[in-house]
Amino acid sequence: MKSLEELRQFYNSVLMPDLQALEKQRRSVFNNIIYTAAGAFGVAFVIILITAANAPALPCFIFPIFGAVAVTALAGWFYSKGYKSDFKMAIIERIVKFLDSGLDYDPHGYISKSEFVNSKIFHTKPNRYKGDDLVWGKLGHTQLKFSELNARHESGSGKNRRVRTVFKGLFFIGDFNKHFHGRTVVLPDTSEKLFGRLGQKFQEWNIARDDLVKLEDPDFEREFVVYSTDQIEARYILSTSLMRRILDFKHKAGKKIHLSFVGSRVHVAVSYTRDLFEPRIFRTLLDFGPIREYFQDLSSAVGIVEDLNLNTRIWTKN
Amino acid sequence: MGLWIVLGVIVVILIFFAMMFNTLVGKKNQVINVFGGIDALLKKRYDLLPKLIVAVKEYMKHECGTIEKITELRAKAVSGNLSDDEKVAIDNQMSKMLGGIMVAVENYPDLKASENFMHLQRTMNEVEEQISAARRAYNAAVTDYNNAVEMLPTNIMAGMMGYKTKKVFEISEEQRQDIDTEALFNK
Repeated sequence: MKSLEELRQFYNSVLMPDLQALEKQRRSVFNNIIYTAAGAFGVAFVIILITAANAPALPCFIFPIFGAVAVTALAGWFYSKGYKSDFKMAIIERIVKFLDSGLDYDPHGYISKSEFVNSKIFHTKPNRYKGDDLVWGKLGHTQLKFSELNARHESGSGKNRRVRTVFKGLFFIGDFNKHFHGRTVVLPDTSEKLFGRLGQKFQEWNIARDDLVKLEDPDFEREFVVYSTDQIEARYILSTSLMRRILDFKHKAGKKIHLSFVGSRVHVAVSYTRDLFEPRIFRTLLDFGPIREYFQDLSSAVGIVEDLNLNTRIWTKN
Repeated sequence: MGLWIVLGVIVVILIFFAMMFNTLVGKKNQVINVFGGIDALLKKRYDLLPKLIVAVKEYMKHECGTIEKITELRAKAVSGNLSDDEKVAIDNQMSKMLGGIMVAVENYPDLKASENFMHLQRTMNEVEEQISAARRAYNAAVTDYNNAVEMLPTNIMAGMMGYKTKKVFEISEEQRQDIDTEALFNK
């Protein structure tokens, strides 16, 4: 894996010229947004002045301001569209290639909904599904792909309309180093943490999931709950060393993580609250900070291969 | 009114006992089920062994003794009529012998490079890892069962059903020590 020092060199020697060009583009986008906002709010102010005398107070304030905000947001989306795309192709793709030349990047691609649903990690099927920033390729023996996803479930309509986030963050799919046929799911443990042994009983009664697998590693058991169609296979996959590796990965990532082992592949869902790999419009680009953040987000995803030791192939699968 | 209450209490007690009974039977069957899994994997290992023996025999001239011992153990294992304890004992001995063979391979570069052997080695690795997973699954099932047999309130029911605690797989003293290949082959 590349170090931060190497990244700094790469930033100075390779990225800098492109960043300077993009910085010009960003400034013009930024200015356009500001001018549009100023114009829109100016018009809104004039409308308020004219109508305030003979119209009810509240609507005459709300409608113009609401209109100005909408115009600004629309302008923001319109002006930054091209810039975002240019930025991703110039910078994010370069960082992906810098991490490993065997990787490819598509700013508009994402893990398909069927792959997401078939991972069996999340129960609720999303009906609002989008994503971007697909990275794919082969690292050593391991085929991998990951992208940012935002999966939501919307129910009801009108006043009863409710939108629930099923998953938001980074979704990784990798070829696992052992053969298996069943389905094993590793989820964050909330019930046992709260209720101890009684919590484990609740998990046993969870009819929506497969059989509960009780593992020997107490630290792992505290953090995760495992369900599987096959008790032996679950332990074949979750060897004592893999349990440790998953724990270490969780602590390193500092995020909520879900895993599943289905169809000879491992799926890892790392929850993020912020958007990933997006350029900032209101801050300068000529700063190492954001670049380091993109790099760290990407390398922690690519690093799953190493973290879970997926390249070790001493089993029949090679 | 009083009669209804008495009847109600009796029904609740009966349901409670039925639940305990089912829990215990379920846990006992889980142990049997997982042991069946171990058995199936051991059989898989015994099916693989003749291939492994043929592959290594012509190269490993100095390990004839170990190879013979493995052949003997295999013959004993597949002869049938073995108790669960005997199966476990043979499995333990076999693991030790195979571990020794896999380490000794380092001394035979020709063998190590043979594609046939490399494939066998990977398959053996897989089976060994599956067996170790099955042992862990067995231990988990036994611990679950033993907890039910010893803990309140199911222990009362277990006593009435004549259920006793079961032993978990233990790693023998020999297995805990690193395999001393020299000693193994110089026997």
